[in-house]
Amino acid sequence: MLKLENLKVSYAREEILNGIDLEVKDGESLAIIGESGAGKTTLALSLMRLVNGNVKGKIFFNGLELLSLSEEAMRGLRGNQIALAPQNANNTLNPVYTILDQVAEPVLEHQSKNRREAKEQASGLLSDLGIPKSRFSAYPHQLSGGEQQRVLIAMALANQPKLLILDEPVSSLDAPARAEVIELLKAISQDRSLIVMTHDISTAAKLADNIAIIYSGRIVELGLMGEVLSRPRHPYTRGLIRSYPDMSTGKDLQGIKGVMNRSVSGCPFHPRCTQAIEICREKIPPLMLIQGRYIACHRGGIIPLLSTKNLTKHFGSLLAVDSVNITIEGAETLALVGESGSGKTTLAKLIMGLAKPTEGEVYLEDSRVNNRGKDFYHQVQMIFQNPGESLSHRLSVLELVREPLDIQEIGTKEERNSKARQVLREVELPETEAFLSKYPHQLSGGEMQRVAIARALVLDPRLLIADEPTAFLDSSLQAKILKLLLNLQEQRGLSLLFITHNIAVARKISDRIAVMKDGRIVEQGPAKSIITAPVHAYARKLSQAASSLSFEVKEP
Amino acid sequence: MHINLKEEVKQNNFAKFGIVLLLLMLVIALFAPLLAPYQPNSQTPFAFEPPSSNHWLGTNHVGKDILSQLIYGARTSLLVGFSAALLATILSAIIGTSAALIAGLYDKIIMRIVDAFIIIPAIVIIILVAAYVKPSLWVLILLLSLLGWQGGARIIRAQALSLKEMGHISAAQSFGASNVYLTFRHILPDLAPILSVEFIYGIRRAIFMEAGLAFLGIADPTTVSWGMMMREALDFCYLDVWQWWLLPPGIALSLTILSVTFIGHTLEGALDPRLESEAIA
Amino acid sequence: MFSIRNLALYLIAMLIILALNFLLPRMMPGDPLMAIYGEEALVQMTPELKAELVERFALDQPWWQQFAAYLSTLFTGDLGYSYYYNAPVLEVILGRLPWTLLLVGTALIISTLLGIVLGIESGWRRSSQRDKSLLTGLMALSGFPDFFVGILLLIGFGITLGIFPLSGAITPYSGFTGAALALDILHHLFLPLTALTLCHIGGSYLLTRNTMVTVLKKPYMLVARAKGLSEFVMRYRHAGRNALLPVITRAGIQLGRMVTGVLFIEIVFAYPGLGHLVYEALLARDYPVLQGVLLIVAFSVLIADFLVDVSYSKLDPRIRYAH
Repeated sequence: MLKLENLKVSYAREEILNGIDLEVKDGESLAIIGESGAGKTTLALSLMRLVNGNVKGKIFFNGLELLSLSEEAMRGLRGNQIALAPQNANNTLNPVYTILDQVAEPVLEHQSKNRREAKEQASGLLSDLGIPKSRFSAYPHQLSGGEQQRVLIAMALANQPKLLILDEPVSSLDAPARAEVIELLKAISQDRSLIVMTHDISTAAKLADNIAIIYSGRIVELGLMGEVLSRPRHPYTRGLIRSYPDMSTGKDLQGIKGVMNRSVSGCPFHPRCTQAIEICREKIPPLMLIQGRYIACHRGGIIPLLSTKNLTKHFGSLLAVDSVNITIEGAETLALVGESGSGKTTLAKLIMGLAKPTEGEVYLEDSRVNNRGKDFYHQVQMIFQNPGESLSHRLSVLELVREPLDIQEIGTKEERNSKARQVLREVELPETEAFLSKYPHQLSGGEMQRVAIARALVLDPRLLIADEPTAFLDSSLQAKILKLLLNLQEQRGLSLLFITHNIAVARKISDRIAVMKDGRIVEQGPAKSIITAPVHAYARKLSQAASSLSFEVKEP
Repeated sequence: MHINLKEEVKQNNFAKFGIVLLLLMLVIALFAPLLAPYQPNSQTPFAFEPPSSNHWLGTNHVGKDILSQLIYGARTSLLVGFSAALLATILSAIIGTSAALIAGLYDKIIMRIVDAFIIIPAIVIIILVAAYVKPSLWVLILLLSLLGWQGGARIIRAQALSLKEMGHISAAQSFGASNVYLTFRHILPDLAPILSVEFIYGIRRAIFMEAGLAFLGIADPTTVSWGMMMREALDFCYLDVWQWWLLPPGIALSLTILSVTFIGHTLEGALDPRLESEAIA
Repeated sequence: MFSIRNLALYLIAMLIILALNFLLPRMMPGDPLMAIYGEEALVQMTPELKAELVERFALDQPWWQQFAAYLSTLFTGDLGYSYYYNAPVLEVILGRLPWTLLLVGTALIISTLLGIVLGIESGWRRSSQRDKSLLTGLMALSGFPDFFVGILLLIGFGITLGIFPLSGAITPYSGFTGAALALDILHHLFLPLTALTLCHIGGSYLLTRNTMVTVLKKPYMLVARAKGLSEFVMRYRHAGRNALLPVITRAGIQLGRMVTGVLFIEIVFAYPGLGHLVYEALLARDYPVLQGVLLIVAFSVLIADFLVDVSYSKLDPRIRYAH
């Protein structure tokens, strides 16, 4: 019943909405999520034709094309069939009239009732929303924030609108009021279509069936709420969800590098995107249906970076790796969890090409990997358990970090040196001459592992395989290394295949977990699900045995 | 606050009109002795003469040349206007800033007095004083400025208070700057825009008052003033003579006040970004 | 609450006026009695009367006693005696007061209302044709001093066209009563009222217009539009009502200006109100009358201001029901 076609809104020279396509059917509810400045409020206002800027495109409401209506006709719809409950701020309610008057006003305007009847109806609305009768003749400044918000909603509901637009309905409320208002909104959304604009994902999740993500004036992802939230397909959506503090996720908060900038050519997200390619800079990606989800991305959403198909390895009669199918996406962490001897390291070696599989294939970005040459190692790197072993004790720090560049003969000596320095900076190691000329045996465990990571980064890989990288480090160092890896992921878009026996560590760092036992993947899925609701018996055992903070004290 | 005054004025016809007119009046006032054909107070035996080549605006009831009176009247109005406004602005700046800076009891007392002065109609006091003390020109100027500073003081105090909160004042205070130093180095420069607006509106008030008082007959009878001319002319309004005796000073007075009003309005608009540009093409 | 603080304010103002009234004549060189009553009056007084007056005003006593004496005579309603009019000052004043009240009261109401309405219309769509013309027109109008406007109207309609009378509040010796009297009053009132009103519309107009700018930016205006309310309702019920508040606050100052204006207008139109009385007293050097009128006028303005202050709090619910 509401359809937007290529809606564009601009003020002066700035384009706020750059071609929005949306559809909301009767009785459906849609949440529109975005950062501040993305254009949510402008979108809300333009649905009511309340923006002052330049509006192009089409808005269809029950067959009427709103942008071509006369102002009088549009006015007839406002507060009547389409209503807006704005975000509550100072002076959103007129300070010189009582709340009853203000709620009765739209009734008087659009229905042919007299004053008394209008006030009666308004009283009913206010009561439904939980405002006590004694407050009806109060003035706005006498009400709390929560009450004011309810009044705004009551005003919007006055004429039983078919489409209700809510702009940040609960963000200015504290937790208890928030919960109450959300319940109210859920009840009223039964009979009408709802559009909720918010930056708060959990509110959106409670209120709407569908979700659209808006970024810099364009919709980048659109789909069913549950699906999008558990498996986001656009890099921005994933970034948003990752940066959202929530009781159920374990992975630490990560931001999205950079800031929103409007004057960007091509895809608006590309400067902050870790998988941008040439075309992203040039053309704006259209919103298209890809595998059941609407995505606006030239690459079709988050790309699968590396995948294995039926990867198998026999050592004589020992089946080390048994038909393993895993996928690692761009800028994602997949944790491979299992006991020692489960085949984790073998799998890593198979992927790296350090061992040949008996059966099965490895794909790098949809193309099969046969021979691993420089190109492959440019994209995939590995760090090992024991940095003491993996760093040659003959080479100084600078030489160690520079080695991959030397091998691949990239750039001049100065360029290689400066690149080495750069990655050392990234892993938070000093660049002093003194440090650069140290030898591994002169470094601490944590420093050695960082050097190893720096060395792995110097080729700018897309995927880093980390095999128990913190096994030899104590907890505080472990924490720092984990944080470093997460940072690198945020900044470089680095994907991680993180191998560990410790599911608690895995929880902290991964988006998805694959549980391995006896060479087989027994369960894999989003980290949240595996941790809180493991299906396979082994997975459950691991989860229970994992270290928890409530140290059980031995009975005396 | 950096306001692009030139830009504001360029776009604004009101301001241009005002400035041109005011300048014209200033020139007339300055060069009065050169421009006026006769001495304004010299009587001739030809009373009630209609306009002629000798007397472009004719003569009044005692034979004085009206044009000369008109020209010299400009002097009076502008002199009184500017001086009274200047004094009043200085007074309000001092009182306003000191109230803001010294604060405490001084502030409270001063503000009560200011409010009291705002409420009392100035004309009442002026008439009262003038009835007893026959005011010469300078006494008049003094009187007008003593009764014209109160509105400005309020506004300036408010502005000074908010300026006081700004970082650079606190910084200077932490270096041990005295209140006097703060006033002249930090506060007054930032107050300049508001002071100018006050000044302009002060001129307007003073010109108004001077003309009015002259009209009432309170001012110095030897000083030529537009108000006085109108008062004398009014007595003979049933004769034709009003056309060239009554109207010219009235129009001159109105134009002067108008020009100052326009300038003031533009200045105000330039200062207050909320009002935006009054681009009246 | 607020009343006490503000009340103190009005008391101080009254005190200042009283002090001035008291001090001025006594600061003049020469016989204070002459300064208080004027030369001509003194000539008419008998020595016994003079002695009595000296005693009443305690003119040979220290200052504070004189002031006390002065205050006590005021409280008894004795404003002195006018030798020019041969009547107690209070009586003279009360005879003229109604006319001035009529003139000022009507002018104040009409000019404020008109100013507000025009200000709302102007402020609603700034820089529109309507706004530009209104602004130019009213600014031009504000350039004309009260008396000049009065003079123009007098000459234009009174002398040249002869539609309106040239002086007075009623036609003398006409013996009109009832409706005819009312009509006659209006006839005489028309020109001075027009002059006074025209000169003072500008004040409320500009203030309303400027306030409208601020008000229109407030969120509740957007909300009003979102409710689909008609333009008229938005303009007056929502914007206008909020723009009203500062204008009411300034009404007190407006009154002060109008008092200045009515003085000149009454002179131009020879309208027998307090303003004209001041003029006459000035000419005749009748100091008691002069002082009396000025005192009454000043006090009235103060009282009116006080009433405005009180009523403002009723209009703004944020003040009326402060948390």
